[in-house]
Amino acid sequence: MTATETFALEGHIVDSLILPKVLDLVLESGSDYRLLDVAIGRTPTDPSRAVIEVTAPDDQVLATLAEQLQVQGANPLDSGQAETEPAPADGVAPVDFTATTNLVTEVRIDGRWITADRAEMDCTLVVRDDRVVTTPLHRLRRGDAVVVGSSGVRVVAPDRGRGRDGFEFMDSDISTEKPKATQLRALADRLRQARADGVEVLAVCGPVVIHTGGGPAVARLVQGGWIQRLFAGNGFATHDIESAVMGTSLGINVASGAGTEGGHSNHLRVINEVRRHGSIAAAVEAGYVPAGVMHACVTHDIPFVLGGSVRDDGPLPDTMTDVVEVADRMRDEVAGVGVALMLASTLHAIATGNVLPASVATYCIDINPSVVTKLSDRGSHQAHGIVTDVGPFLGQLADELGA
Amino acid sequence: MSAGALTWGRRFLMCPPTHFGVLYEINPWMHAEVAVDLERARTQWDGLVAALREAGAEVEVIEQDAEVPDLVFTANAGIVSGETFVPAHFRHPERQPETERFATWFADRGATVERLPDDLSHEGAGDALPFGADTGPGAPVLLSGYRFRSDAAATTPLSVLTGAVVRPIELVDERLYHIDITFCPLDDRHALCAPLGWDRYGTAVVESLVPEPLWLTDDEALAFTANSVVVGTTVLMPHVPPRVGRQLEAWGFDPVAVDVGEFLKAGGACRCLTLALDVDLTGAG
Repeated sequence: MTATETFALEGHIVDSLILPKVLDLVLESGSDYRLLDVAIGRTPTDPSRAVIEVTAPDDQVLATLAEQLQVQGANPLDSGQAETEPAPADGVAPVDFTATTNLVTEVRIDGRWITADRAEMDCTLVVRDDRVVTTPLHRLRRGDAVVVGSSGVRVVAPDRGRGRDGFEFMDSDISTEKPKATQLRALADRLRQARADGVEVLAVCGPVVIHTGGGPAVARLVQGGWIQRLFAGNGFATHDIESAVMGTSLGINVASGAGTEGGHSNHLRVINEVRRHGSIAAAVEAGYVPAGVMHACVTHDIPFVLGGSVRDDGPLPDTMTDVVEVADRMRDEVAGVGVALMLASTLHAIATGNVLPASVATYCIDINPSVVTKLSDRGSHQAHGIVTDVGPFLGQLADELGA
Repeated sequence: MSAGALTWGRRFLMCPPTHFGVLYEINPWMHAEVAVDLERARTQWDGLVAALREAGAEVEVIEQDAEVPDLVFTANAGIVSGETFVPAHFRHPERQPETERFATWFADRGATVERLPDDLSHEGAGDALPFGADTGPGAPVLLSGYRFRSDAAATTPLSVLTGAVVRPIELVDERLYHIDITFCPLDDRHALCAPLGWDRYGTAVVESLVPEPLWLTDDEALAFTANSVVVGTTVLMPHVPPRVGRQLEAWGFDPVAVDVGEFLKAGGACRCLTLALDVDLTGAG
């Protein structure tokens, strides 16, 4: 990643050739510069001043160059250091704590810019040894050195990679009138790119994926190695298992669409049997769950996080009912994820958006355009929307990828 | 063009070597195991004083004590401009006690003492020599060396405090750690110049400033040829290379060799042992 710093150079820098020397040093280091401001003194004794923005190929080059420029009298313009205050109690930040965004954040400590360990919105920044740790409020411990104020803190604007994935023209608004075939191919290309780059793909699934018949397609994507993480709720996993065991989703036959006798309790009976086995994995191993997305996750070693809610039935033994614990598990699991697919999920999509860095390409596939809007409104500006019926779309996506 | 137009260099501050010795090593010439013959140093210093007086200069004296053996190198005391004195900020802690000795001496004689910012180093006239070239309306240009002992950033406050037009020159050879080992103004057209000590930008600045430079070879530069003192047309030099002597004489100067061998053991020669007191950088003088 390139590194940028703005330097100010003052004095008799023109006739002494110091300005051209500084610019030459910048270019010789493989970096580039922009002269943001040059004020030439009017008389021979008036000092001149140049403000130079330097963009280096990486932090190391910038650090070496900064030392050379310092010899020439050019100093970083924002030499402000980050300030910290100790956390007053466990789970409590100092009053003026710096709140994070989901962009890469750098903190200046002892004259060096240090990149925070990860980007997550709505967290605090804790300085520990020579590291900056992005820390949610509840993980703060009394005495942690929490960054306060805005001095010595900056965010790195994301590289949107314009023109790469064919989604640019659709970003202006979320419309039902976009060409689906083009969006499908572009998403497939992005997933192929992720595989080539070795970054992992996260699927966040709502129960509608199962209701609309998309379950088998997601299972194929898991089996084909196109999805490496799964986040969902109790409902998605329940209906996925219900459809695998009984052929219904909330009692409705997934293949025929017809209601079934006593089907309203199918999901409860499925939950009860999985509880009897102790876990989804145990139910899969015992042969109770013969197919479906959860089956594919268990048999292909794909980690999944099931976050509970107040209205859950059962719940399944794997469903985590402590929401703070769920968020922490999700934080742990998003490391290494480069693409996120939000599949007909509102609440889990927004929860996931909260812990994702802005650098994760996020695709929101939903019949309801407002889900993408909600994600963006909550700060996940990187979300692309595909407004479509998720079941058929996933089938076509799996076909396109040959999964 | 004939010689002898230097507007300064008739009054000098010097410090007799009563406690002189190589007690630490802060430049490549200093070797603590090399003994200084204090008696011979005193004789050589007396010889330089005599030569200066014979050339028509006045010499004033500051006394040293055991804590500041390098006080003999008065060139590093600070920058004089008219009634203003800007004491040096030394890079090395070993020399930092010298600042207040010099500041007190000047204050006692009625000078206005102006201070550089605490965080910037600048080693006085050792790293700043005026060249009264025809570049501006009256004010001479102060060529100021930086990197080893002085900071480039110090030249801006120096300009503000003294009224001088400062041209910072980057020094690139650690053996030539002060600009007064690389440059010696002879008058407003001529100067001894040792490009060995400068980068190409600094060399270009000197080329544009000095109409008739006498370029020193690397050997001449490393023999401290440029660390000379000019009084009128007399040039007091630690030694006179025949080639340099002939050129100086052709320009109308009178080169005189003054033995300062004991001081070369500490990396200093004639210029380092003197501070011109009659410099005015505002253009008024």
